[in-house]
Amino acid sequence: MRLNPGIRVELQRTPDDASQRHQLYVQWLNARVGNPSILQLDVVWTPEFAAAGWVLPLDKYGPAKSEFFPATIEANTWAGKLYALPWFADVGLLYRRTDLVPQEPKTLEEVVADARTAMARRGGPPYGIVWQGARYEGLITGFVEYLGAFGGRIIDEKGNVVVNQPPAVKALEFMRDELYSSHVAPLDVLTFHEEEARFAFQNGNAVFMRNWPYAVAAMSDTSQSKVAGKFAVSPMPASASAPGGHSTATLGGAQLAINAYTDHPDAAYKLIAYITAPEQMLERARAVGQYPTRLALYDDARMRGTIGIPLENARRAIESAKPRPVTPIYTELSEILQIELHRALVRQAEPQDALNSTAARINALIERTGMRKLMAAEAIR
Amino acid sequence: MKKISRLGYEARLGWSLVAPALSVIALIAIFPLVWTVWESLHLHELRMPWLGQPFIGLANYAEIAKDPRFWAALGHTVFFTVVSISLELVIGLFLALAMNRVFRGRGFVRAAVLVPWAIPTVVAALLWRFIFESQGGIANALLVDAGILKQPMVWFIETATAWVPVILSDVWKTTPFVALLLLAGLQNIDLSLYEAAAVDGANAWWQLRHITLPLLKPAILVTLIFRTLDGFRVFDLIYVLTGGGPGTSTEPVALYTFNALLQNLRFGYGSALSVVIFAITFGLALLYVRGLGVRLGGDET
Repeated sequence: MRLNPGIRVELQRTPDDASQRHQLYVQWLNARVGNPSILQLDVVWTPEFAAAGWVLPLDKYGPAKSEFFPATIEANTWAGKLYALPWFADVGLLYRRTDLVPQEPKTLEEVVADARTAMARRGGPPYGIVWQGARYEGLITGFVEYLGAFGGRIIDEKGNVVVNQPPAVKALEFMRDELYSSHVAPLDVLTFHEEEARFAFQNGNAVFMRNWPYAVAAMSDTSQSKVAGKFAVSPMPASASAPGGHSTATLGGAQLAINAYTDHPDAAYKLIAYITAPEQMLERARAVGQYPTRLALYDDARMRGTIGIPLENARRAIESAKPRPVTPIYTELSEILQIELHRALVRQAEPQDALNSTAARINALIERTGMRKLMAAEAIR
Repeated sequence: MKKISRLGYEARLGWSLVAPALSVIALIAIFPLVWTVWESLHLHELRMPWLGQPFIGLANYAEIAKDPRFWAALGHTVFFTVVSISLELVIGLFLALAMNRVFRGRGFVRAAVLVPWAIPTVVAALLWRFIFESQGGIANALLVDAGILKQPMVWFIETATAWVPVILSDVWKTTPFVALLLLAGLQNIDLSLYEAAAVDGANAWWQLRHITLPLLKPAILVTLIFRTLDGFRVFDLIYVLTGGGPGTSTEPVALYTFNALLQNLRFGYGSALSVVIFAITFGLALLYVRGLGVRLGGDET
């Protein structure tokens, strides 16, 4: 590397599967292994690794936080300190068949109405909307978007668990109504992951789909896709019935952090700064279509045509992006939520009861892990 | 005197000869077990180093006793074990009786019947998931064509229907094994007993009830031991087919333990769960072995 000739970089392969990679990291870090010096973190892991003391705060290096999308910084901040820099962003998108629904729906209610109209047309697709409804992390990413649309939250800024409050109940009821009342979502979605949803949409069987940006490339390929050139993306809209609701896209993506046990933290930061520089992000967008986390790049002429969708749509989605709860106990919290949401969606439980149970169990988790104090400290900041 | 010291010498020689084997057993069986029990008495969350690793006595076990998800998982495990083993025993017995007859191609049939048993569980489970998955799946197509279902259904979103592929695939896969064990038992029954019974005018049903089944008991018990212990440890089949869902309504104890131990990395609590499963399966094994031992002793006298 010509900028820093003294630094030699070695690449180390880790599993592609997020939970396998996470498990590997936890084993390494419990054994205080300093290699690799830089860890690629999923967006929901940063607070966990920070609270465990496994990654170093970056503030002393003076990173230019304001140049990144605020949500990507928020997700990487714990107890007032920044622990990772966002490398590329993933955001939940609403895909729409433009041949069936030319106008972008402005509210969730319009999505359902447009879906029903398109399904009723002669030769219209059998499904109105497909999302990820299997019992796994994907279900949470979708729920967070409906939750935002109704103005709800899982944990509020004071650290209180508010997932059983009216906006959250309404959001969950809305998802359930899509399945059992307006019938725009097929019951199959309760077993869907990203790929099943993509296949349904790509084969022309659905009017709308909730999915990540990765689907754009495959669905634009005319040799395998029946919808190439016939779809557009936007962030999931807000509900018309909820005054506090706002259009919300769940934030995903990769972060780069410094292993607390490395012998070379300063060199590690130099490499992180290099990889997250605008030029490198541009190159990533060109090479693999991953979304930059720097605001300014969305006004950069060199970005045009790199990510397969209009830059303006991508920017709007990332601007409405919200992180999932920023807490060290996210993985356990998510597991509770996955089970209870799935129970409500398959009608084993009523939404209010399932969310009451969620809240009780998350509160018990917070007590058990001593997180109450830490979260209060986080709130004071 | 001389004799005793010689015995002592032989005993010492004996011990020294088995010592390497014993130490290997201690290393690979007893040491991990003791460590797991020790671990289960601690609070040890790999993800939360700020909690430390304090000794907490039986607190993990107290948490298990109050954990509704554990009790539900235990219920699912018992349900799965009882239902699938009952079906496997009945169907396996029919298969064994049929294979015990002399007919052309018997060797071929005996081999062919074992094919499902030979397929790795994960592969078999994936096949069955493929059959039952999605409304356009094979199971739905067949049932709708046959007029049994009015419209295709989503099997994995209701508890009752999610059990169907789970139990079906276990029965499909394990019945051949059961049949083979029973067949071995059948072949030990003296044919002259049947001839004598036939001379006395006993019909086939009487012969089955009063000759075949009583004499088959040891084979049935051996089968039950194997299958109950397998059933209690069921993991891969359900992990692949339902993942324990919908909700957690088909989750067996082994999957719950895996989840606590390897997903949530709660080493203390997960170890306590492992110890509980170990205690249950060990207790079951003891029960069966005692039952079997008494019967074998009875046969000898």
